[in-house]
Amino acid sequence: MKKLTLIFALFLTVLNANAQESPYQKAMKKEIAKLIETDSLPVLQQSANAFARICELNPKEWQPYYYHALAYTYQGVNNALTADKKDEALAKAEEIAQKADGVSPNNSEIVALQGFITMAKVSVDPSGRGQSLSGQVMQTFGKALALNDKNPRALILLAQMEYGMAKFFGSGTEKACGSAKQSLAIFAGQDQAALIADLQPTWGRNLAEKMVKGCQ
Amino acid sequence: MKTYLLILTLLTASLASAQTLISGKVADQKGGPVPGVNIYIKGTYDGTSSDAAGNFSFSTDESGKQLLNVQALGFKPQEISVECIGQPVNLQVSLAESINLLTAVTITAGAMEASDEKKSVVLKPIDIVTTSGAMGDITAALLTLPGTSTVGNDGRLFVRGGDASETVIYIDGMQVGNAFGSTASNVPTRTRFSPNLFKGSFFSTGGYSAEYGQALSSALALNTLDLPLRNQGDVSVMSLGGGYTQTLVGKQNALTASGNYYNLAPYQSLVKQNFDWEKSPSSWDTEISLRQKWGNATEGKSGFLKAYFHTEGSNMAIWQKIPGDNGRGDRVELNNRYSYGNLSFKHLGNKGWFYYGGLAFSHNRDALKLNLDPILQITQLVHSKAVAVKDFSPQFSLKNGLEWYVKSYSEALVDESLKRNYTDQQVNHFIEATYYFSNRLIMVAGLRTGHSSLAKETWVTPRFSVAYKLNNQGQFSFAAGKFKQLPEEKMRIHQTDLKNAAATHYILNYFIVNNNRTFRAESFYKIYDNLVTYKGPATDPQNLAQNGSGFARGIDFFYRDRKTVKNTDFWITYSFVDSKRSYANFDAKVQPSFAPKHNGSVVIKHFVSALKSQVGTSWSWNSGYTYHNPNLPGEMQGKTKAYSDMSISWSYLPRPNIILHAACSNVLGRSNVFGYRYASQPDEAGAFASLPVGQGARRFAFIGLFITLSKDKNANQLNNL
Repeated sequence: MKKLTLIFALFLTVLNANAQESPYQKAMKKEIAKLIETDSLPVLQQSANAFARICELNPKEWQPYYYHALAYTYQGVNNALTADKKDEALAKAEEIAQKADGVSPNNSEIVALQGFITMAKVSVDPSGRGQSLSGQVMQTFGKALALNDKNPRALILLAQMEYGMAKFFGSGTEKACGSAKQSLAIFAGQDQAALIADLQPTWGRNLAEKMVKGCQ
Repeated sequence: MKTYLLILTLLTASLASAQTLISGKVADQKGGPVPGVNIYIKGTYDGTSSDAAGNFSFSTDESGKQLLNVQALGFKPQEISVECIGQPVNLQVSLAESINLLTAVTITAGAMEASDEKKSVVLKPIDIVTTSGAMGDITAALLTLPGTSTVGNDGRLFVRGGDASETVIYIDGMQVGNAFGSTASNVPTRTRFSPNLFKGSFFSTGGYSAEYGQALSSALALNTLDLPLRNQGDVSVMSLGGGYTQTLVGKQNALTASGNYYNLAPYQSLVKQNFDWEKSPSSWDTEISLRQKWGNATEGKSGFLKAYFHTEGSNMAIWQKIPGDNGRGDRVELNNRYSYGNLSFKHLGNKGWFYYGGLAFSHNRDALKLNLDPILQITQLVHSKAVAVKDFSPQFSLKNGLEWYVKSYSEALVDESLKRNYTDQQVNHFIEATYYFSNRLIMVAGLRTGHSSLAKETWVTPRFSVAYKLNNQGQFSFAAGKFKQLPEEKMRIHQTDLKNAAATHYILNYFIVNNNRTFRAESFYKIYDNLVTYKGPATDPQNLAQNGSGFARGIDFFYRDRKTVKNTDFWITYSFVDSKRSYANFDAKVQPSFAPKHNGSVVIKHFVSALKSQVGTSWSWNSGYTYHNPNLPGEMQGKTKAYSDMSISWSYLPRPNIILHAACSNVLGRSNVFGYRYASQPDEAGAFASLPVGQGARRFAFIGLFITLSKDKNANQLNNL
C-alpha cells in the first residue's frame, strides 16, 4: 500500500511537472515579452545578454538564437548609436542569425530576420550601400516568402522596401500597400496566445498597422 | 546527537543553496565603467547585465564552487571562480579589450580601397562606373585619386613619378599580363576588363604588402563578385557597340557569360577626328565566369572556387604624321588577340587556418604592320600561387606564400624570318606577420624573396608598416619597403641578363573618416636605383646598362564629403610630385614626361530625385608635361601648357531596370597637348621640326542604354557592383 501511494505520488509530480513550464520556456517568455516592448538601448543589451545565456544552455533550439539576433538588430536600427556602433551590433546579429539558420535551416522566420539585418545595414549608409545591398534584401524577403507565404514579418518588411522603391521611381505604391494589408490581415488572423506559448515570433504588427494607415 | 548534527548541516546547506547574492562592478583596463556586460553563472539561467555605472547584482540558488562568466562586446571574456555558500560575494572585474577587426586601426599608408563593407575605404565600387569622364574604365576612375597622374596620350596608370610599367594589376590575387588594350603610340588605351566584374578593389600607391612583387611603384588588386543575386540578362546598346550578358545562379554556384562588340567607325565618321584613321578601332570580347561555393562558414570549413576566362580581338589602322614631312606619314596597322584565364580558390579551414591561391595565364599577340614591315610580338605570363594564413590569436597572424612565374616574350620580323625570344622563370616566397598591440596600434612586417632564372639573380625585399589610431578616429600610418622589378620586355629582349631595378618607399599617411566625410593626407619619398640606361633611340638601344637612378617625393590630399550638400557627393584631390631621374637615353637627372608637378581633380555627383537622375561632373588638371626639345641645349627643357579636362555625365533611371547614360569629356573643348615629337634630323635651317602630341578628338561623347531582364523587375546592371 505504502509503495502504491509512493508510485501514485511520483506519477502526480511527473504530471505536474509536465503541465508546468520548464525553466527554458519560463525564461524565454519573460525575455521575449521584455524585448518586443522596449526600445531603450540598455534594456536591449540586457535582453541580448539574457538570450545569450539561454542560447548557451539550449544550443539545439533556434528561438534563443533568433531573439538574441533580434535584440542586436534592434540596437542596429537605433539612431542613438553612431554608424560604427550600429555596424558592430549588426555584425553580431548576422553572426547569431547564421547560427539560428544552422540549427533550423530553411526557416522562413530566420530568413526574414536575415533580410531585416541586411535592410538595417543599408539604412546605416543608404547612398553607399543601397545599390549593392538592396537587391539582396529584396531577394532574402522573397526567399522567406517562398518558404512560407503567410509570414507576416517578411511581408511587411518587403512592403516597406517596395514602398521606398515605388516612391523613388514615382510609380504606384499599390503593390507595396497591398503587401502591407495582406500582412496586417495575417497578423489579425493569428492566435497570438498560441504563438506566444509556442515561443514563435509575433512582432511586427505595429509596423503593418502604421503602414496601412499611411497608405490610406 | 549525530543525527541532529547531520540535520543541522543539511539545513545550512539547503539554506546556503537557497540564495547567494553576487554583486560587483565591471571596469575596463583604465578603470572606466563598462555597461551592458553579461554576467552569469555558467550552465544556469542565473545572471544579469551591468548598468550604466558598470554595477551588477543578482542572486543564485546554485551552491558550491561555480564559474562566473563575464562577457561584453569588444572585450575578452572572463571566467571567475566563485564560492556560493549563502554569503554575499562582491567582485571587482577588470576586462581587457579584444581586437575588433570592424573598428580596429587599419594600415592606410599607400592604400586606397574600394569596398562596400569596410570602413577605411576611399571609394565604393559603384563610384567607378558613376564617375563622369571615366567612361566605365576602371583606370580612368582611379585617375581621380591622389598620387596618380593623367597622361592623356597613354591612358594607363602612372603613379607618383613612376611610369606605367611600374604598376602591376591582379584579379583575385592573380597577376594579369597586358591588362591594357594594345594600341599605337600616342593613342590612349583602356583597361580590358569591365568594371561590372568586380565587387571591390585595392589600389596601392606605394609601400604595399610583401604579397606583391615585381612592381616598382604600385599594385592594383581587383576582386571579382562572389555569387550574383539572380538569373538575369543584361543588354547594352551603346553609341560604340553593344553586348549581352547572361547570368545563371544556382544554390552554391553561378555562371556568367557575355559577349560584346565595339566599333568606333560610325562615331568617328560623324564627329571630326584629329587622328588620321584609315580603319577605326573595332574590337570584340567574350568572357565566361564560373563560381562554386562549398561548406558552411558557421560550421568551420568553407570555400570558394572561381574560374574566369576572357578573350578578345581588336583591329585598327592609323596614319601618323612625321615631323617635318608633309605627307600622310607612317601607317601603323595593329591586330591584337588576347586571352586571360584565371582559376582561384579560397578555403577557410579549422583552427584559424585560411588558404588561397590559384593559377593564371595571359597570352597577348600583337601583329603590327609599320608601313610595310610586319612585326609579330607575343607576350605570355603564367602565374601560380599558394598562400596559407594562420591566425594564432586575435592579435597575431602569419601569412606564408609561394609563387611561380613563367614570363616569355618573342618578337619577329616576319618577312625577314628574324626572330628572337626569351623565357624567364621566377620563384618567389613571401612571409608576412600582422600583430595588433591593441585596437589602436598595428604592425605588419614582411619579407619577399625572389629568384629569376634568366637574370640569374636572387633578391630579398623587406617591407614594414605600422598604424596608430587617435582618440578622434583619425589615424597615422607609416610604411617603408624595398621593391624590385626586372626591366621591360622590350629592353630585356636586347640583353637578357639585365638585373632588377630597385625602389625604396617611405610613406607617412593621415586618414580620418567620420560621418560621411573622409580626409586623407600622405607624403612620400621614393628612391630609384639601377634603372635601365642606353644610348640612341629606344627602338634600337645601344650600350644597355643599369646606371640610372632618381627619386620622387611629394604630398597629396584627398577630401570627400557626402554630407554637407544634400544629395551630393564630391571629392577633391591634389597631388604634388617632385620627381627627377636619369634613365633611358638621358645623361642627366630630368623630370620625366609622365610626372607633372601639380595634379588636381574634382568629382561631383548630384542626385536629382524629381528627374530620377544622377548628374555628374569631373575636372582634372595638371601643371603640364615636360618634353625634350632638341633645338635647345640640355635635356627635357620644354614644358607644355597646363592640362585641363572637364567632363559631364547624366544617368537617367526611368524604370528600375533601365539605365540611360550619356557623357561627354572635355566639354570646354580645350586643346590639350601632352608633349612634342621632333624630326630625327634637322632641316636645312638646322632646326628640328616638331609636331604636338594631342587628343584624338576635341571631345568624346557617349550614349548608352542598359536594360536588365529578370523576374525581379527592380534589378539593374548596377546591382552587380
